[in-house]
Amino acid sequence: MNVWMLLGPVLLLGVVLGFVTYAILLERKVLGWMQGRHGPNRVGPWGIFQTVADVFKLLIKEDTIPAKADRTLFKMAPVIAFVPAFVVLAAIPFSEDLVFADIGVGVLYIISLSSITTIGILVGGWASNNKYALLGAMRSVAQMISYEIPLVMSVVGVVMAAGTLNLTGIVEAQQRMWFIIPQIIGFLVFFTASLAELNRTPFDLPEAESELVAGYHVEYSGFRFAFFMLAEYVYVFAMAALTTVLFLGGWNPVFGLEFIPPLIWFVLKFALIVFTIFWIRATLPRIRVDQLMQLGWKVLLPLALFNIFLSALLKEVLEGWY
Amino acid sequence: MNGGILMMGLIKGMGVTLKTMTQKKVTHKYPDEPIPMPDRFRGIQYLDPDKCIVCNQCARVCPTDCITLTGRKNPEKRGKVLETFDINFEICILCDLCTEVCPTEAIVMTHNFELASYSRDDLFKDIHWLRENNSNIRSENNVNARGVKK
Repeated sequence: MNVWMLLGPVLLLGVVLGFVTYAILLERKVLGWMQGRHGPNRVGPWGIFQTVADVFKLLIKEDTIPAKADRTLFKMAPVIAFVPAFVVLAAIPFSEDLVFADIGVGVLYIISLSSITTIGILVGGWASNNKYALLGAMRSVAQMISYEIPLVMSVVGVVMAAGTLNLTGIVEAQQRMWFIIPQIIGFLVFFTASLAELNRTPFDLPEAESELVAGYHVEYSGFRFAFFMLAEYVYVFAMAALTTVLFLGGWNPVFGLEFIPPLIWFVLKFALIVFTIFWIRATLPRIRVDQLMQLGWKVLLPLALFNIFLSALLKEVLEGWY
Repeated sequence: MNGGILMMGLIKGMGVTLKTMTQKKVTHKYPDEPIPMPDRFRGIQYLDPDKCIVCNQCARVCPTDCITLTGRKNPEKRGKVLETFDINFEICILCDLCTEVCPTEAIVMTHNFELASYSRDDLFKDIHWLRENNSNIRSENNVNARGVKK
């Protein structure tokens, strides 16, 4: 029990909020550049206060609760959605020393806690007492549950290759070769499924700004709405960090460039994943609902299962190599 | 196989967006930097009262009747001099007819177009304002104007 046990999470929250602020700005910038525009550039130099202004606007908005809503659940839903998003960060090793909880079943912990957010979304849609919110929540939950299965299945290959569920152990197992190379199928499945888990383009059907008003959060405004959005971007942080740890070798350097500190390596790989997520958003159109379920169950899940089989086979055949 | 073609399409699309990212932006910094207009753009009129011979043709041809002008007798020689000249930009459609009909090129078009204002009264422009509006004047106005050497 020392001062860091209290100060660490507060510091992490600050880092995460800073990340969310500038990830949103960068996302809008990257989208702009990819569409031949400049992106936000009016609030502050280079638009650096754009997100701050947006959040401030949300915070000073009237906090509305529909008359027929289930008030308790309505107020709880954003909390249920946000808390797991932040709690999963505890188990992610950012570098050899910088890990808050080095638990033995780190992968399991992250995967299982992140599913709780789905309940928050369902509760939000239900408590709004609005048929569109409920339909949006149902669709959202259907998508998140469907894609959780290939997501977990694709991680199994990594766990088999590393021989541990501990995230630090997984990173250490990648010292010679990152798992993205032997586990390329697993990586592709994991990345696609994580996009769907994050409700991001091309799987952003729950929100679909250009088609629907909104999904489960139609009735939310101001602070509570901001919390749903915050949860979403904190998940981007968590998923990008998890992808880095599982497939990109965490803090391990490339080409033996060991003079660069491990944390910087982690941040670089992490930033690459985040950029790729934005890049995909700028490129791909949204897929249809029927395609969504087909892709999840008929393509990703069999691929993930095949990957487990392949990993087991390679582990036996190329023993010591793999 | 179908999946292969789909993957190729995805990769191609990603390439397009990545290339666009580094290319020149197509947007303008409009309120910060003025947009250069093509020469034949029809903007707010510039008026040279000394050239005006008070023939009243602009007021007659105006399809929206937004021009009102008065003149008085020239004390020194024949003809008239302009006394008042007003354009009501609430109804002016910048159709260019007054410019085309003006025999002396007293009224010509400019490339200026910013008229937005909080009061409708501000849109009523008088002779002094129109004379001050002497920037970005269109180079070619009435090719048949008298006294204009081309």
